[in-house]
Amino acid sequence: MRVLKGMLIAAAVAAAIAVSQVWLPEEPVGSTQTGITPDPEWLRLASFGFDSLAADYYWIQAIQIVGDADGAAGRSREIGDLLEVVTRLDPWVDHPYRFAAVWMLDDEAAVRQANGLLRRGIEAHPDDWRNRFYLGFNHFFYLGEREEAAAVLEPALALEGRPGYLDLLVARLKVESGGLDAAAAFLGELIRQAPNERAQAAYRESLYEIEVERRARILDLARERFVERHRRDIQSVGDLVRVDPPILRRLPPEPRGGKWIVDEFSGSIVSSIVGHRYDVKVDGTNRELLRKFRENSRSSEGNS
Amino acid sequence: MTGKGPILAIAHNTLRDAVRNRVLYVLLFFALVMIVASALLSTLSYVERERILQDIGFSAIRFFGAGIAIFMGVGLVHREIDRRTIYTILSKPVTRAQFLLGKYLGLLATLWMQLAIMGASFWLVSGISGAPFDGGHLTALGLVAVELAVLVSIATLFSSFATPFLAASYSLGLYLVGHLTRDLRAIGEAGNSEVVQSVTVWIHRVLPDLSSFNRVIEAVHGIPIPNTEIGAALLAGLAWCTAFLGISVVTFARRDFR
Repeated sequence: MRVLKGMLIAAAVAAAIAVSQVWLPEEPVGSTQTGITPDPEWLRLASFGFDSLAADYYWIQAIQIVGDADGAAGRSREIGDLLEVVTRLDPWVDHPYRFAAVWMLDDEAAVRQANGLLRRGIEAHPDDWRNRFYLGFNHFFYLGEREEAAAVLEPALALEGRPGYLDLLVARLKVESGGLDAAAAFLGELIRQAPNERAQAAYRESLYEIEVERRARILDLARERFVERHRRDIQSVGDLVRVDPPILRRLPPEPRGGKWIVDEFSGSIVSSIVGHRYDVKVDGTNRELLRKFRENSRSSEGNS
Repeated sequence: MTGKGPILAIAHNTLRDAVRNRVLYVLLFFALVMIVASALLSTLSYVERERILQDIGFSAIRFFGAGIAIFMGVGLVHREIDRRTIYTILSKPVTRAQFLLGKYLGLLATLWMQLAIMGASFWLVSGISGAPFDGGHLTALGLVAVELAVLVSIATLFSSFATPFLAASYSLGLYLVGHLTRDLRAIGEAGNSEVVQSVTVWIHRVLPDLSSFNRVIEAVHGIPIPNTEIGAALLAGLAWCTAFLGISVVTFARRDFR
């Protein structure tokens, strides 16, 4: 009887072990990323003063997501949660902020979360232009918020190590946010502070482009009236003065004596000298990227 | 034997006794392995490797330093009672207070020696890996030394009346709570409840705030630590050591060894 009891117990234990072994995950720990990360404040308590070590652990997890064979696509939220932990435990980390900007691009919500991290990065590293640059880029490129982009980037112009093109980029963004007058005033200030004649010449070139843009916008308005009145678009810019009655008595002169033409690619009225409108340009590859991003944002909005 | 003489003699004996302890060397060995391994672990990241290396190195120093302090500290008095050597010592012109202070200083000297060895290894590994090591790192290590002094005084207090197991549990508990008080206060202040707020404020006021000795993040990032904060931490360390040792002396004086 005693032997039977022992055998039964042994069989029960063996069965329990077998069942538990079957239930155990086959993949090594860490590869089954569930996306669940602890609340940073509780983790700070639980780390008992070893916050920086915990931050490093979660930072390495974030890197592993990006280095995963499946890539980081669709895992922005996970990366964001991990970086939230990293940057709350150790706000003085440097690269994780820009890592967020580079890898959290699934949809609008992800970019906004990355922007939150970048703002924290700016607070921790006020003298570093790079976090401002990435934040400004996200506002301009992904979110289409040029006013915010200009506001974020403008303080970066005073920071050491900033790229030379940044001031002209801000000027272009300001056209959208504060209008041409704001951009012109900003460039006037840049000319005043320019360290050499070469820089002054570059800023003057931009001022010329702004003047061209100002006149091109007058032509845009006239073109709209033309379309309203005649139910068709202009063949050439000259139509604006040739029709009876004319929309404009005469065309505004191009500041450097060029002509006004309708650009065959964009369909916009441009100066024959400048060849484009005063705006931040987005090339074909980036336009495709932006299209995909907007599609993702729309579908995730629909899902929520 | 009067005045400092017996204290220093006991401290010297405690130090000599401690360095013969093999467990001490095992813990030190693991600490050194961890410091050296930090160079390998840091390669898991493609950026900021120096930061990760130093985070791990500092953490190893603090973790094993605290471990050695608690492990050695809790048996400080018990070992003497167990081996009955305490009767011989106290039969000489040595007061209980002198005995306890001597034991404390001896263990503290042992720990600071260990800290110096770990700090030197950390400096060496940092240097080989190209990570900076400057005054900020030395300040952070100095504050770890103060934290260990407080921790040894806590262990000495519990060792003066409790068994090693209980003393270890109490010391570990107080060490962990000491690292929570500031965060608890912040959480309490962020909440809506006034009761929770005042409770967490009082916990922070009444218990030692060991996080004031933890300036690892500042050292690793090269952020200057204000002198006032270093001074306040040193003062707090001195005050807590005095308080814990004072209570230890009073408790130990009333203890019956029969």
